[in-house]
Amino acid sequence: MEARLNDPAARSRLVGTLAALVILWPLLQAAEVKPGALFDAGNLKVIGHFLAGFLPPENSREFLGFLGQATLETLAIATTGLALAFLLAVPLAYLATAAGRERPALNPLTRSLLTLLRGIPELVWALLFVRVFGLGPAAGVLALGLTYGGMLAKVYAEILESVDTRPAQALRQSGARRPLAILYGLLPQAARELTSYTVYRWECAIRASVVMGFVGAGGLGQLMDQAMKMLNGGEAASILLAFMVLVFAADGLSSWLRRALDAPPAAHPSPFGWRSGLVAAALAGSIVASYRFLELGIGDLLSIEAARSMAEFVSGFFPPDLSADWLDRVGQGVWETLAISIVGTLLAALLGLLLALPQPRAPFSFVLNTLRSVPELVWATLTALAVGLGPFAGALALALHTAGVLGRLYAEALANAPAQPSQALRLSGAGPGLAFLYGTLPGAAPQLIAYTLYRWEMNIRMAAILGFVGAGGLGQLLYVALSLFHYAQASTVIIAMLALSIAVDQASAWLRQRMR
Amino acid sequence: MSFRLDGVGLTHANGFTALADISLCADQGERIALVGPSGAGKTSLLSVLGTALMPTSGRGEVLGQPLQNALPRLLRTRIGTVHQAPPIPGRQRVVTAVLAGKLGQWPTWKSLASLLYPCDLPGARAALERVDLADKLFARCDQLSGGQLQRVGIARVLYQQPTLILADEPVSALDPALALATIRLLVAEAEACGATLVASLHAVDLALGNFTRIVGIKAGRVVFDLPNEQVSLPLLHELYASEGQELPTQATESHLLPEIAAHAAATRAACC
Amino acid sequence: MTLSATRRLALKGALACACAAAFSLPALAADNVLRVSAIPDEAPTELQRKFAPLGKYLEAQTGLKVVFTPVSDYAAVVESLATRKIDLAWLGGFTYVQAKIRTTGTAIPIVQREEDAKFTSRFITADPAIKGLADLKGKTFAFGAPSSTSGSLMPRFFLQQAGLNPEKDFKNVAFSGAHDATVAFVAAGKAEAGVLNASVWDKLVEQKKVDTDKVRVFATTPPYFDYNWTVRGDLDPALVKKLTDAFLKLDPANPEHKEIMALQRASKFIPTRKENYDGIEKAAQSAGLLK
Repeated sequence: MEARLNDPAARSRLVGTLAALVILWPLLQAAEVKPGALFDAGNLKVIGHFLAGFLPPENSREFLGFLGQATLETLAIATTGLALAFLLAVPLAYLATAAGRERPALNPLTRSLLTLLRGIPELVWALLFVRVFGLGPAAGVLALGLTYGGMLAKVYAEILESVDTRPAQALRQSGARRPLAILYGLLPQAARELTSYTVYRWECAIRASVVMGFVGAGGLGQLMDQAMKMLNGGEAASILLAFMVLVFAADGLSSWLRRALDAPPAAHPSPFGWRSGLVAAALAGSIVASYRFLELGIGDLLSIEAARSMAEFVSGFFPPDLSADWLDRVGQGVWETLAISIVGTLLAALLGLLLALPQPRAPFSFVLNTLRSVPELVWATLTALAVGLGPFAGALALALHTAGVLGRLYAEALANAPAQPSQALRLSGAGPGLAFLYGTLPGAAPQLIAYTLYRWEMNIRMAAILGFVGAGGLGQLLYVALSLFHYAQASTVIIAMLALSIAVDQASAWLRQRMR
Repeated sequence: MSFRLDGVGLTHANGFTALADISLCADQGERIALVGPSGAGKTSLLSVLGTALMPTSGRGEVLGQPLQNALPRLLRTRIGTVHQAPPIPGRQRVVTAVLAGKLGQWPTWKSLASLLYPCDLPGARAALERVDLADKLFARCDQLSGGQLQRVGIARVLYQQPTLILADEPVSALDPALALATIRLLVAEAEACGATLVASLHAVDLALGNFTRIVGIKAGRVVFDLPNEQVSLPLLHELYASEGQELPTQATESHLLPEIAAHAAATRAACC
Repeated sequence: MTLSATRRLALKGALACACAAAFSLPALAADNVLRVSAIPDEAPTELQRKFAPLGKYLEAQTGLKVVFTPVSDYAAVVESLATRKIDLAWLGGFTYVQAKIRTTGTAIPIVQREEDAKFTSRFITADPAIKGLADLKGKTFAFGAPSSTSGSLMPRFFLQQAGLNPEKDFKNVAFSGAHDATVAFVAAGKAEAGVLNASVWDKLVEQKKVDTDKVRVFATTPPYFDYNWTVRGDLDPALVKKLTDAFLKLDPANPEHKEIMALQRASKFIPTRKENYDGIEKAAQSAGLLK
């Protein structure tokens, strides 16, 4: 027999853990993490006072009527924005994806366009469009359309690439053209995921359109901004409630749609029954209604005048301010933003996993939905009260919202993970916790990690704009630079945001590759 | 006495009767094959023996414990199950998958620590040596072939050291040569450690060639319960009447069945 | 509730204006509409409430339909003036300087309140340990909007003269976005100190919207020129004259005018001119806020 057995993986695990700690420590420093501030008596009193103001929620009839109007507007911005995003995303995804190609070739041009669209946060697009096209929902719709178009296209492309490619290959080899090969070979496998992602994005769009209200694009956000700024608890509570109802309804709609997709096909030749017809009609109806409700007049936005003012506006951004002084400040902002996003995402993963595990699900799903339905910018107002202004408030806000998102995704992934491994362990006498750790988690981990990394990619964008409410980082630099018409400086910040989000995308893709 | 079932019935919540009036008992160390057509209730019977399902009628006793609600968890650590598809996450390392066999016996801290550093490397290695996979100790399970993975599942059960081994169609996903080898391994290992072995098998030739006692099950009832030598072809044909003329076997030609049985008995004698 | 009612009005106004802005081509005021906006130095709903009677008065004086667009971003007002999407705007002193630069000197300040000629900002805190500007080192501090004159620019200028660099000497700098929000920040402890426009502070104290036992003024800036009403440079000179006269004609002795002036917190409107804001421009340059 040979000498003592050693685990060959132990060394790399140890090194990995140490490396993670070495990287994490300065990040925690930069994010100014000080959990003690959470329990500071003074802070608790302030936030308690504010939260006590939530009761009773403002419920005068006029306010409610106004709230209804704003809710409709938010819904309309989200719906129109997503419709625009979808129109952009389908051709872009088709161009970008390697799916259905006989030789996998990535289209670098489309991919970089997508990166550009996604890399700049929607709030920044909105800020820019507000300047160019004037105030009102048009800026919000366009901003949503562009950013979400980029995101949808990227994810569509990836979903199509991730399903079994053999059916499409077989079709192509028997002479089908690429669009048909995708339609017949890939779409049936991917439809469910594509739909649920789109519906999920619509939910996100609702949240985002609220956030864009913070820069003047109308809807619930504008109300929320005021109520939060003035610390008017009663109104804030009503608005938040309205908002949660929206998100919960969107959630319900989304799961109904997913169930409908799972229903076995009816026994008639057309794959589309009355239900599909109804959904299609409702969809078309709501998009048209939203469009008309907003009175966008997109045509005028495409006029020569608009193009000229756009060109004039954009030209102000060049050349970017690359003075050492400003680069130094932007560099600090980048580091702080990175720290906020990483610390926030890690905290969220931890909290999300804790909330995703317990059974029965109902109360925990409610908690998760609540966390998720409050946008980061609103959480930031609360966390700033709890721990004072600064990056830690931003990281916490990010963590609270993201925990809701991740917890839900984790719970789904765990529910979908194969049950046999953990059942088998239960049968051999293991407790539920250990059966989960040894049986379920290894199977679900890649999915959980992928979700977390995807979410990090989104959070870096959000972290970049949390500065708008005083959480530091790049957002504050951009807000100030734009307010002061220092477009050359703003341009540097936007480029930094873009570079940062591209770097994070790359890092995340690399990590996902490694975790496989 | 390993287990005894006395008039056991199992009716699912949807009203489907999976088992009816099953009476069966086994001595410690017996090797029993359950045969019968698909849907006969073989898996349900194994689930009852493995305490995954409680009988809805009748009485039973497994390893000295009467079958009733709130069974001690310790009972389950003495029952090892080989599943049809090895219930092992693909991303797990072989060593972890094998060590997981003792989760029910280890204190929690040890199970947790073992996730960071495998805490019984020699034990895992010994179990894998018995299924001829010692070189895969640190491989990841998704790098193994189907047959290798099934053997890892067996190694886990061996590492668990149960006194009752249940096997639910353990080789139905394997090719004939591998299936035969795997069944032989299972039988030999059960014999070596004196454990009772109950295996459900779809292929009658494997059952006849390797097990001393054959129990035929059909529509949730025991049709026959005989020593290997007394199982006749007409009896088998009647058991499988619903599946047509041919008996399900691993070998391609079923008319060789009696020969196979004789041959397998000989090879078993040779390899032991 | 009147506040809510005005809010609904605000939204309707925003909608109406948004679609009007989207549907109409740049040659504005041609369709007999005077488009007015104001920097959001207070809550937009509050601005809306303040503007309503003045809007009616201007309608009567000019014979044009007056539409007020509330905004929540300072820079948007300047941009809209530059892209000729609004005709008349209530600007802060610094915002005017920005507008002047954005419109290559064409925007014309026409009138201002008498008190705007000697405006001040108040530094406030709820922390008993802060007694003067020097005590602000290492504290969290809230400005109003970054481009606010009295909530950001001038206080920054005077802080610099007192030897304090906000980015380096304060623990954290926040921009509350509006003067009344700054008070809320300081009262809630979100920031340890803050600065706002003296006129808004006085109003909040008068209306008892601030607990003066808790939040107090610990410093006031020297006076400077602030707010004015500015028109875009290519507006019909006859209309500009009409507007100027309308403001100058406002007389507190007239009860109807009195309400308008009370809401505007003006004792009297006086003419103003570009040169009045050269001081602010210099201050902004030295504070590094203008490039």
